[in-house]
Amino acid sequence: MSEIAHRAAPPKAAEPRTDWTGPAIFGALILSGIVMIWGPQIASLPARIILLAAFILAGRRALGDKIGQYFSGPMAYFGTGFMLLFLALALFAPEIAPQNPYDLRQLDIMDGRLAPGATNFSETFTYRLGTDEQGRDILSAILYGLRVSLMVAVTATLIAMIIGIVVGIYAAWAGGRVDALLMRIVDLQLSFPTILVALMLMAAFGRGIDKIIIALIIVQWAYYARTVRGTALSEARKEYIDAAKGLGLPSWRILLGHLLPNCIPPLIVISTVQVANTIVIESSLSFLGVGVPITQPSLGLLIANGYGYMLSGQYWMSMFPGLALLGVVASINMVGDRLRDTLNPRLRK
Amino acid sequence: MHITKLRGAVCAAAILAMAPALAGAQELRIGVGSEASAADPHFHNIGTNNQLRRGIFEALIDTDEQQALRPLLAESWEAVDDTTWQFNLRDDVTFTDGSSFDAWDVIYTICRIPNVPESPSPFTTYTKAAIGFEVPDPHTLLVKTAEPYPLLPTEFATWGIISAKANGVNGEEIEFTPEDCGDIEYPTTQAFNDGSAAIGTGPFKLEAFRRGDSVTVVRNDDYWGEPAPWERVTYLPLTSDGPRVAALLAGDVDLIETPALQDLERLQNTDGIEVIEGISNRVIYIHLDSDRDETPMVTGTDENPLKDQRVREALSLAIDRQAIVDRIMQGVAVPAGELLPAGMFGAHAEGDYPAPTVDLERAQALLEEAGYGDGFGITLATPNDRYMNDAQVAQAVAQMWSRLGLETQVDASTATTFFSRRNNLEFSAYLAGWGSGTGEMSSPIKALTATYLPERGYGGANGGRYSNPELDDLLTRALATVDDAEREQMLREASEMAMEDVGVIPLHFEVTPWAMKSSIRYEPRVDQYTLPYHIHPAD
Repeated sequence: MSEIAHRAAPPKAAEPRTDWTGPAIFGALILSGIVMIWGPQIASLPARIILLAAFILAGRRALGDKIGQYFSGPMAYFGTGFMLLFLALALFAPEIAPQNPYDLRQLDIMDGRLAPGATNFSETFTYRLGTDEQGRDILSAILYGLRVSLMVAVTATLIAMIIGIVVGIYAAWAGGRVDALLMRIVDLQLSFPTILVALMLMAAFGRGIDKIIIALIIVQWAYYARTVRGTALSEARKEYIDAAKGLGLPSWRILLGHLLPNCIPPLIVISTVQVANTIVIESSLSFLGVGVPITQPSLGLLIANGYGYMLSGQYWMSMFPGLALLGVVASINMVGDRLRDTLNPRLRK
Repeated sequence: MHITKLRGAVCAAAILAMAPALAGAQELRIGVGSEASAADPHFHNIGTNNQLRRGIFEALIDTDEQQALRPLLAESWEAVDDTTWQFNLRDDVTFTDGSSFDAWDVIYTICRIPNVPESPSPFTTYTKAAIGFEVPDPHTLLVKTAEPYPLLPTEFATWGIISAKANGVNGEEIEFTPEDCGDIEYPTTQAFNDGSAAIGTGPFKLEAFRRGDSVTVVRNDDYWGEPAPWERVTYLPLTSDGPRVAALLAGDVDLIETPALQDLERLQNTDGIEVIEGISNRVIYIHLDSDRDETPMVTGTDENPLKDQRVREALSLAIDRQAIVDRIMQGVAVPAGELLPAGMFGAHAEGDYPAPTVDLERAQALLEEAGYGDGFGITLATPNDRYMNDAQVAQAVAQMWSRLGLETQVDASTATTFFSRRNNLEFSAYLAGWGSGTGEMSSPIKALTATYLPERGYGGANGGRYSNPELDDLLTRALATVDDAEREQMLREASEMAMEDVGVIPLHFEVTPWAMKSSIRYEPRVDQYTLPYHIHPAD
């Protein structure tokens, strides 16, 4: 649709139509990334409510009149519903969770390894999903872990996407040797198994949320660079770009104002699926003991902590975080699938 | 037709039923937690290799379950003067190739120990005290030391003896100097692994050493002592906790080392499985940076609060050791008040020096007295794959320090990363463990609390750089005191000194569990070794 609009009319007239889709989602994602990094310290409860609303509105706006096509089956309702639920749980974890599992003062090892439904020593609240060996309430730990997992995944995906866009568009625009060199670097990067590179990076960096985000960016930017370059190459040959050149616009305006907005739709699809992938990689790294700090467990680390107790029948430490991970990854993937079917005209049956 | 079939089935069932019973009495399969790196007795000084070595190559002196010395190839030993030890050797011992054992084999072995290429951890520490030998007759050995050296017999119990003759060397011609023994032939590590040089005096002979698969030993029928209870023993490396327990439950192995703590209850409740537990010589402790003016992992203050003895004592008093033992270690540990379990050489008697009990009020008062009433931030470093539940223990300690008002974080990393960072002094506080190789107090005192003096071998693992000249002096004197009673008293005093300064915070002693079929029995050992010669069929 937008392409046609571009081709038919002078570029300036098409801008309001194209500019809204990508940037709206971008804005929401960046905001959610910021809020999740600094969490309740800067984001008061109303700010987080506004953020969630903005995210939903931006998504609605991005889909535009394709909304009916998006919600064309039960899977779409299911996936979207669960994704929003998990997002809300992560955003409002401090309000929902009965305990702050990252505050060591609130933990008591005398409450360790209690079964679901047990009450704490001073009988002030019930551990609905049991506790782990440190006396951490599993329910609270899942909520906070969800927050860490989503925050890491969203932030890493966003930054990797920005780097990928810059490299990809620049390669497509510059062409020739620059293009060849950048794409060989991408090839080299993609030829390494993701988890192996991430493991090596984490071994070199040490633990920490900032470090795991950096490692995930390093292993992911190449996907975006490759995709953006492909799209940009085909877009750059189209008439509206020639028209823009003919008008004598500077390169940066053509790149940012015309080429970039038209490369966004495939990126939205990839990045949604990639967020789910990133959650899985982050969980794997944490499970292997090189991810987040052990006093601030993400879902992967929670699973790893409880893993040793499986044979002895204390299933709740691993199983509930595992189910949460399964749910969040599956729902994001469902949404990604629907987005791909809706936004990518080439796949339309 | 029917009857024949039935009879056949009954016979088969009977044979099947008998087979394990017969094999059980003759064959022993052990699931070991980590694999021996070589069959060479002098290649790598590490528990897994040493326990395999003990069945095949015997030392002059044996150690019992409590690591007390007892005669083996030496019938007796004594200090004839301050710098000379006399060993009286057995005269009825032969190696598995038929050559007889004498004092020259001991000297040949000492000559070989520094000449093992690429040894990751050589035994030279345990031979370098000997600077000369005399052999008045083939079964008497006099060992000279430069200074009075009471630990010589203990150290001579750690390495196995190989045969000079079997390796084509005439022992009498060896000219021993502390630097080298002249140009003589030594077997390679490979020759031990393929079995050609694996000639010892032990109750077992090496049958096959298959890296990554298994190690098998068979009974030495010509053994000088009581014959081994097993015809054949197989060590299977099962390095993951889950599969090791599963292998025992499935009956694939007869005994496993160190089942995971969380599986103990289930094993205890399984019919036909026994679990035994014995305290080990390994203490889990916390070292605090008590030396530098600025320390890297403390925040909220410009100074290093850990230099203040009162702060260190407060940190120790804030720890509820009993809770850690009960909840994190699930009862499979003993709270520690010093660095060696009660009853071992140089430790206090049971109950004489108990672990400090948790006292938050006093800890709080001590912090205030030291001027840190508002607390500070501290990061406790720990390995996460080296000791039993190590990272969990560190988290529990962090919980307790948080309660004292300190912003505590935990930095957990794998053992290899952890120890190199420890050695670079990147930590302000770290959790680690120390197993006393010699079984006496001098080992942890020397390694953990003596001033860091590499040239003297002091403070090798003293990553907190705690230093007390008085303690160093006492240790030096103790190490040169041959009289056992006197030395033990000095070591006790040194231990008290270190504990009062809180140079190191002891947490608990690990307890080693073994799980086995009820048809066999084994006595737990403080050195954590699994020795098939001492595993017996239950009557």
